Amino acid sequence: MSAEEASETPDGVDIADGIDHQVAMVMDLNKCVGCQTCTIACKNLWTDSGGREYMYWNNVETKPGEGYPRGWEELGGGWQSDDHTDRQVGEIPGGEDYGEPWEFDYESTLFTGESEHVEPEQDPQWGPNWEEDQGAGEYPNSYHFYLPRICNHCTHPSCVEACPRSAVYKRAEDGIVLVDQDRCRGYRYCVEGCPYKKIYYNAQRKKSEKCLFCYPRVEGEGPDGETHAPACAEQCPTQLRLVGFLDDPKGPIYKLVEEYGVALRLHPEFRTQPNVYYIPPFAPPQHSEDGETIDVERIPRNYLEDLFGEQVHDALDTIERHRTRVENGGESELMEILQDQNPARQYRLDVFEGGEGRAD
Amino acid sequence: MPTERRRQAVAVVVAALLVAMAVGPAVVASRPAYEIPVREADDGARFADPGADAWLNTSSVEVPLASAPSGAPNASDVTAERANVRVVRTESELYVRLEWADPTANRSAAGPRQFPDKAAIELPVNASARPPISMGSTGTPVNVWVWSATGGTEELLAGGPGTTTRFANATVAANATHEDGHWAVVFHRDLHASNENRTDVALENDLNVAFAAWDGANMERGGHKAVSEWYYLPFAPDDGGPPYEAILWGIAGLAVVLVVATTIEGVRRARDDDGGN
Ligand code: SF4
Ligand code: SF4
Repeated sequence: MSAEEASETPDGVDIADGIDHQVAMVMDLNKCVGCQTCTIACKNLWTDSGGREYMYWNNVETKPGEGYPRGWEELGGGWQSDDHTDRQVGEIPGGEDYGEPWEFDYESTLFTGESEHVEPEQDPQWGPNWEEDQGAGEYPNSYHFYLPRICNHCTHPSCVEACPRSAVYKRAEDGIVLVDQDRCRGYRYCVEGCPYKKIYYNAQRKKSEKCLFCYPRVEGEGPDGETHAPACAEQCPTQLRLVGFLDDPKGPIYKLVEEYGVALRLHPEFRTQPNVYYIPPFAPPQHSEDGETIDVERIPRNYLEDLFGEQVHDALDTIERHRTRVENGGESELMEILQDQNPARQYRLDVFEGGEGRAD
Repeated sequence: MPTERRRQAVAVVVAALLVAMAVGPAVVASRPAYEIPVREADDGARFADPGADAWLNTSSVEVPLASAPSGAPNASDVTAERANVRVVRTESELYVRLEWADPTANRSAAGPRQFPDKAAIELPVNASARPPISMGSTGTPVNVWVWSATGGTEELLAGGPGTTTRFANATVAANATHEDGHWAVVFHRDLHASNENRTDVALENDLNVAFAAWDGANMERGGHKAVSEWYYLPFAPDDGGPPYEAILWGIAGLAVVLVVATTIEGVRRARDDDGGN
């Protein structure tokens, strides 16, 4: 990156050394209905066979909950401090924590009539989305929300640092984190090192594999030659994902993250500096036993703080303030961005094209 | 005693001493440290099986293993402490048998936390070189023969840590058995290699070799492994052991000659003195 380009990086944006621009995604958790369309879009494109059956590069888990893989938040990884010198020890999840793919006996239900239901042939004890909608809290104040997760294409990716063979790398033009399949020897230090457990081991190919931010779509490598956002984003029925560059000051991502501070990193204490950001969830207030609405938040703030760090308080307050303003007939750019339905503004991947950095 | 006979006797003693000095090391000295004796045999096939009787009367060397220097987490915690190494060569092939203790045979890498047991032999690409032991260097690359308990054998080229590259086709074969808590693996390959990136075992120089073992149960993989120092196979035609040994014996031989010469001179003078009285 030339000094000139470096000086173009907008104020406050921290981009990894040697990276021209940084792709980013914002997901508004208030719009997720847990339909898993994103999960299936990703699976159909990238992980439907060949040792990838158990992988969900995009998964949607119910929070509070163990998630996918089970208990991932407790498995370590990431960095010990903000200077990114020493990594935090991490663990590789077990196959049973991801959930092995189940085989189904279609034959006896659909053809021979021996069985009434299509059932898994094994007796599964766990799987992705095992505890869907379970959440926490007691009726009438139980609560849950959905958390879609992909690789965060972190600014300080501990998966990259963990690999002794430099097989995992952050590519210069847009900061997408990829695994060089020729260099990878399946040691899984990256799996250990990623605190989000978003890099997976393919036992059939003996290599690690991960979300590639649909880079062939982003590069316009498809039959129509057009730039497309990742499939998980474009397929989402509620269109809750914004895709673009963190260092695009005219884009909604920059505004939500840097100007309004309402799009937050998941588990910032892992210190990898994710480039997937979340608008934290709101829920209706609690009810008293006799059904009256009371002025107590349903999703405990301390739980949201566990997930998104201290900034969550300011973020929720800011959104609340802007919402009240609009309710009272005022105007709010923030509310407009959060409700925008124009795909051209939602997906801003062409901004730097023809300029620096992007390979055509 | 007549002077002539005494002279002859001294000469015989000197000659005998010199012969003993020259031949002695080969006959009586213990094997030099780091040398692995190589048995020559006609029929290689009977050594392919690590359990074959043919290996029983092939002399072996206990090679100590210790954790390799590595930045990998937990790298200092390794299972294998030593390997028993035996080597046979025929006209055209090299057989290397490694045996080491590993209570559990880990043959699968089918689960994300499963790692197979492995063993490897490292050789310099240039048979007369002695590369840095941690996977060689750019100027002095190494070949690594890797056996995995999953059943595969790989041949790698490396020019420094983290640089291993697989040869498309392995020319090394390996057979393994796990019995009584021990793995025994026989690697074999043709002595001669046509590819310039492969070690050509030309039997012209002593050949450096090093060994490594990974315990899958201990999640050992990559740089997290137990390794040896460089050993060598004594292939140099004039096998007097490593150069320092020849020099030492040379100095010892000279000293003996000097002592003997001084003694003879002393005896001669003493006799002349006797004659003078
Ligand atoms: S989320 Fe994990 S796999 Fe993705 S870049 Fe960050 S550390 Fe690497
Ligand atoms: S497709 Fe959209 S709404 Fe459906 S689960 Fe994925 S992110 Fe949520």
